[in-house]
Amino acid sequence: MSVDEGRVVVRLDGVRKEYGDTMALDGVSLQIRAGEAVAVMGPSGCGKSTLLNMIAGLDRPSAGDVVVHDEDLSRLTETGLALFRRKRIGMIFQFFNLLDDLPALENVALAAQLTGVSAGQARRRALELLDELGIADRRNAYPAVLSGGERQRVAVARALMNRPALLLADEPTGALDSHAGEQVMDLLLDLNQIGQTLLLVTHDERLAERCANRVVSVADGRIVGERSLERTL
Amino acid sequence: MSAVWRAARAAVRRRKLQTVVIGIVVLFSAATLVVALRLLVASTAPFEQVFNDQAGAHVVAVYEPGAAGPTTAPPGAVAVAGPFEQVVLPAPTDTGMIYLPDSLTVVGRADPAGPVDRVEVWDGRWATAPGEVVIADLPPAAGYHPPSQVGTVMHLRDGTALTVVGFGYSVSRTADAWVAPAQMAQLHPTAVEVLYRLRGEPAAPTVDAFTAALPSSGLLATSSYLVIKEAVAAGPGAYVPFLIVFGILGLLVAVLVVANVVSGAVVSGYRHIGVLKALGFTPVQVVAVYLTMVSVPAVVGAVLGSVAGEYAARPLLSNAFQGLGFHGDVGNGLGVQVTAAAGILVVVLLAALLPALRARRLPAAEAISAGSAPRSGRGLRAQRWLSGARLPRSVSLGLGLPFARPARTALTVAAVVLGVTTVTFSGGLATTVARYSSIADRNETAPIAVRALNPEFQQGTTTRSDEDIERLLRSLPGTRHVTAVLDKEVAVVGQARAIRVVFLRGDRDEVGFKEALVEGRWLRGAGEVVVPSALLHERGIHIGDRLTLELDGHRTEVTVVGETMSASIGDPGLLTAWETLQRLDPQEPIANHDVMFQIAVTPGTGIPAYLASVRAADPGLNAWDNAGVNTFTVSMISLSTTLSLMLGVVAALSVLNTVLLNVRERRRDLGMLKSIGMTPRQVVVMTVTSMAGLGLLGGLVGVPVGVLAHRFVVPLATSAAKVDVPRALLDVWQPGMLLLLAVTGAVIAVLGALVPARAAARLTIAEVLRTE
Repeated sequence: MSVDEGRVVVRLDGVRKEYGDTMALDGVSLQIRAGEAVAVMGPSGCGKSTLLNMIAGLDRPSAGDVVVHDEDLSRLTETGLALFRRKRIGMIFQFFNLLDDLPALENVALAAQLTGVSAGQARRRALELLDELGIADRRNAYPAVLSGGERQRVAVARALMNRPALLLADEPTGALDSHAGEQVMDLLLDLNQIGQTLLLVTHDERLAERCANRVVSVADGRIVGERSLERTL
Repeated sequence: MSAVWRAARAAVRRRKLQTVVIGIVVLFSAATLVVALRLLVASTAPFEQVFNDQAGAHVVAVYEPGAAGPTTAPPGAVAVAGPFEQVVLPAPTDTGMIYLPDSLTVVGRADPAGPVDRVEVWDGRWATAPGEVVIADLPPAAGYHPPSQVGTVMHLRDGTALTVVGFGYSVSRTADAWVAPAQMAQLHPTAVEVLYRLRGEPAAPTVDAFTAALPSSGLLATSSYLVIKEAVAAGPGAYVPFLIVFGILGLLVAVLVVANVVSGAVVSGYRHIGVLKALGFTPVQVVAVYLTMVSVPAVVGAVLGSVAGEYAARPLLSNAFQGLGFHGDVGNGLGVQVTAAAGILVVVLLAALLPALRARRLPAAEAISAGSAPRSGRGLRAQRWLSGARLPRSVSLGLGLPFARPARTALTVAAVVLGVTTVTFSGGLATTVARYSSIADRNETAPIAVRALNPEFQQGTTTRSDEDIERLLRSLPGTRHVTAVLDKEVAVVGQARAIRVVFLRGDRDEVGFKEALVEGRWLRGAGEVVVPSALLHERGIHIGDRLTLELDGHRTEVTVVGETMSASIGDPGLLTAWETLQRLDPQEPIANHDVMFQIAVTPGTGIPAYLASVRAADPGLNAWDNAGVNTFTVSMISLSTTLSLMLGVVAALSVLNTVLLNVRERRRDLGMLKSIGMTPRQVVVMTVTSMAGLGLLGGLVGVPVGVLAHRFVVPLATSAAKVDVPRALLDVWQPGMLLLLAVTGAVIAVLGALVPARAAARLTIAEVLRTE
């Protein structure tokens, strides 16, 4: 993975998000540099996932700027946002969000096929990724018959399919048992170590300490603290 | 407020779209059901219903004045009315807008009521004094209010003035006009009529036996109610089986569609059911919540639909049954409305109950996970093949979705198949009815009729012979085909009663007779006859038989070469070439006014202008537009078209609902696909493609099913009613029309998918992924 080490890839400036009377984010400013692994932590409902959604272009801020990889997301149309996600963002969800109707290989290949890559090329790349993640033998299995860890690895492979500049993970170990959680943590750590910029949203202190080199604490929609970490390998 | 009601009310509020769809589907289904039931009730022995309502006369006997017979009621009669004095008079000519037959049977009667033949006075009042007359006519159709003709003064040949004081309807057709008994003395009655009502619905032998037992002294003639019944059954009554098929189809479609929509709504709510259980709702309460939830829109829909159905049914039935020769009063149908509303609610509750009971047995956790736990995908090969196909991924994904969920796919396809089958079948039936009408009255082919005025009744008659008239008509601009038609009562050797024979001259192949062939072939020359089905059955005649016709002592042999549809009112007649008459009796005198000419005009020729040109060419000719006379055909076609449209709307709603549910179920998947970079356009394309594929499949299955059903059911219904119809009535399909129908399923599915797909494409992904 090519990394422009030290370059700002995410910049949030005074971002606010309101849902009716509820203030989910209240003037959040944040920068993430290329190659960083940042963990966003905080209690439930503090605005962590909203913050992640803003960066991924899944939701729009009520006020403030979100710039990712030099793209001002507020200026993009829905289609523009979709193309942006395709090229720049890989997402991992707590509950995997795989398509139940497609086997693992097709789930992974789908991300590339949406960009117009041929089916053959997409499958080859998907198989490489599944192989790297140790689940190539499960390529024809449907999500329903995969274990939680396997599903999350398929989700990671899908997220990496288009070589994203930024990998976003929302509670990636939240739905996994401890063993599967460990495996996913190792995977994320490995990815970051080879230069993948990573933004994690998690409750899990262990995951943050293991994978992140910076922790951003959020409470009541505001950033209330930041600290750098020496990762425990 | 109970927890059940609170939960149900909340569910109704949360599922506004689904609630509205259920309400609309139930509304249309209830309306269709009311129309269908009203149709079935009215179509079941319509003649008998009206006949019994009026205490119709099974036998009308006409005696010489002063005969002893009328005073004695023979055994077998349950009621007798009369004797009423009677006279047959030439009709007055100054009748204004009132249509009267050439010869008018006038009866003196003090009262329209009585034990037999209760005449329904539908406009004005009964004649109570000399100088007053009540005219026999059908009441106008419901909703149609022509200006009243009461007050019209007409003059008989002897100068007697009669004022029309009312219009009455007698299904027994006992008179053309009624006057007060005091008026009759002045009209010089020539006979008396006595009306007999027998027990039950007497068959021909009973009627014959009764007639034979009547005192013969002074008896001039008798007529049986079976003649009127036969005329109705063989003519316009042939529509009754079609109406019954429409009724049954409406019934089935309404029930199936409601069952499909409601059960789909409950199945899509399984997760909600799990949540309710987790909250502590007992299984019975869960079922109650769901029944209440679907009952709210269903009750509203059923009540409004029943009322709407009644409003739709009344004018349709009134028009149709007036066309069938009965009065247009079709009652208020309150019983049918209540039955339909209650019936549809029972269907709704049963359709909801079955899946709700299944959900009741599910453990709460399993029910909750019904909407979110991973399902095991299917159709790996299809998915892989589509994934590798040279198609945009959004299209191949859409096409692959149905393979992944065969059960849901089957449900969707079933809804489309039902819809397309219904539209195909009902559309075919409507076309069959329209074609039947056009064959039956031949007015579309040859809309103009011309006849020389009768010197006995009318002034300004022509001196031209019938052949000269034909030549004149052929010479007029705009004439395309002319056929001369002459009716004669002819004896057939070996047959007890004479038979009406219709002699045809000129373009007999071109004015619509040929299209009515059921079996055999059309006439090629002299010595051949084509026999109407009714006559064929009644007289035991077969194709290939040789008959000997006898007229004024002359005989000729004819061969039966074909069977034609019985559709005309009156006695059915043998059709034969004019040359047969010349063979039979070349000297037979033919009055020019005995011959009617049926004329087809060239395209672009205006009928009013053509009629004017005929009258201008010879003022002694009466020319009229037959096409405008038969409002019955129009009402029949409008009835079948309306029913077809109603069924189509109900079926389309069912497809729309299934597609809506389908797309809503996929909201999470759509959100996920957007999160990995699927554009809104791709979301729409994928969703629409998945449903279009199913719609097309449903269309491809539904069209042949509809065609087969039409081909199977129509002959079944017509043969059950002992009505033979030409094969042409079944060949109502054009390839283009079939293609259009096959695509209809896809179009409905696409339209149904487009709205929720566009909404899903616009959804905020974060919201979808959070709420699912």
